Amino acid sequence: MNMWIAQCKAEITRMLRNKYFVFWSLFMPILFYYIFTRVVNTGVADQEAWQAHYLMSMTTFSVMGSSIMSLGIRLVQERTQGWTLYMRITPLSHTAYFFAKMASQTLIHLFSILVIFVAGILLNGVSLTVGVWIMSASWILVASTPFLALGTLVGTMKRVDTASGVSNVIYMVLAVCGGMWMPVEVFPDLMQRIVKWLPSYNFGNGAWEIAAGHVPAGNSIFILIGYSIIFMLVSNYIRRKQEVV
Amino acid sequence: MNEVVSLKHVSKSFKNEKAVADVSFSIQAGEIVAILGPNGAGKTTTILMMLGLMEPETGFSTLFGNDPKSKKVREKIGAMLQEVSVMDGLTCREILTLVRSYYPNPLPVNELINLTGLEEKDLKKRAEKLSGGQKRRLNFALALAGDPDLLFFDEPTVGMDISARKSFWDTVRLLRERGKTIIFTTHYLQEADDVAERIIMFHKGRIVADGRPDVLKSKLARQTVSFVAENRMPLDEFWKLPNVRDVYRLGDRIYVLSDDSDRVLEALFQNKWNIRNIQTEQGKLEEAFDHLTQTGKREVV
Repeated sequence: MNMWIAQCKAEITRMLRNKYFVFWSLFMPILFYYIFTRVVNTGVADQEAWQAHYLMSMTTFSVMGSSIMSLGIRLVQERTQGWTLYMRITPLSHTAYFFAKMASQTLIHLFSILVIFVAGILLNGVSLTVGVWIMSASWILVASTPFLALGTLVGTMKRVDTASGVSNVIYMVLAVCGGMWMPVEVFPDLMQRIVKWLPSYNFGNGAWEIAAGHVPAGNSIFILIGYSIIFMLVSNYIRRKQEVV
Repeated sequence: MNEVVSLKHVSKSFKNEKAVADVSFSIQAGEIVAILGPNGAGKTTTILMMLGLMEPETGFSTLFGNDPKSKKVREKIGAMLQEVSVMDGLTCREILTLVRSYYPNPLPVNELINLTGLEEKDLKKRAEKLSGGQKRRLNFALALAGDPDLLFFDEPTVGMDISARKSFWDTVRLLRERGKTIIFTTHYLQEADDVAERIIMFHKGRIVADGRPDVLKSKLARQTVSFVAENRMPLDEFWKLPNVRDVYRLGDRIYVLSDDSDRVLEALFQNKWNIRNIQTEQGKLEEAFDHLTQTGKREVV
């Protein structure tokens, strides 16, 4: 147990020291939030609702990013540098190693959520009930599972360059099409219907619903579970194939 | 008998090419063993199979009589492998603290520093900022972190300068005095000869020799007796000497290669040939190594 805690501590330290994490998962979402709620006049009728809505957009954007990018690229890095091989001869089991990664990733997400929520309160005085704050934070934590699974899928790539390139593209496409930068209502009708099947849209939508005082749609939950299963199966399959060599 | 490593009929091939073919050996507690061979001889593959990092196709390997992948075994082993860099984002000290936490009885940090030549100021540096030599030292420290009974070093001195090499082997000798079992691979003969008490020589995935360095030398490296003969004696005469392997003339000297130079000398004197200026030479392990690994490519003098 001690070594597991030490492992989590080390993982968290590494993530907080990572410039990309701080930039993409904390700085950028807060900057965007400031721009689209304070600088650019979006002409929304209900300002207060928009500020809460966009706060959820940026928080989900942040957590989705660190799930896909930080986790995925780190996995590739550790493998290409032989660290993964080294870990296999230490008494720390692979399962403990994996769960330490996931647990510290979740704690980091919790930290990002808190930071961005506080930024929302400080910048715009966003005011939600305690229940809504807790519900939305929990949703963002739990519903990030498919993106963590996608991160492990990125983590099977051979080279760090490929992994960071590919995950960057996936991340941006998912964020824009999923309505995290601008509401999907501005998209053409056909595109709106398509993007509603994306994991990012459903991830964000759950948080938007909570912020608006509703509960996440059953559809969203099922779609996210579906993606989680697919990504996990594919990433396990690839990993198993790689291990045979 | 205290068998620490046991390999039985282990084979492994990559893309239909045999990397290791039917290898068996065992290593006792306290031995210091060099696995010697040219590149591509199957040394690293053998190490990886011993460690349970690679599954043998046939046969099996155990450490301390157990599966190398079991936690009990992993707590007692340490290794420095090729192409293993260090975890980034943490300082040297943080990595050492982390890895020490994996083991039940880790060595204290200051002892790890003393053994590996890491310096106090290196400990504060981020691992990715270390120089190549410092990284190797950190890898060495990580291998020793759990105070293991059995150590594996795969080509440990590649990329080390002369002084780093010397201090590495000094520590290895110290570890042996503490009763550790040590296995290392190398393609430097000198290292195997200087440090190991036993050499297992690999060639094309097979063991071609296994024994103490001096025994290997006397067994493999043939001894040469050379002399100047007065009159031009036919070489055929010398072929009749005992244990002769080869006879040739070089300049005005005649060279007799044999397994046992004592008997050759005895016979030479008994025959009372008109020869003088007799010299004997012990073959070098280097020659034995070349001989073993280049069979068929015999030197023509």
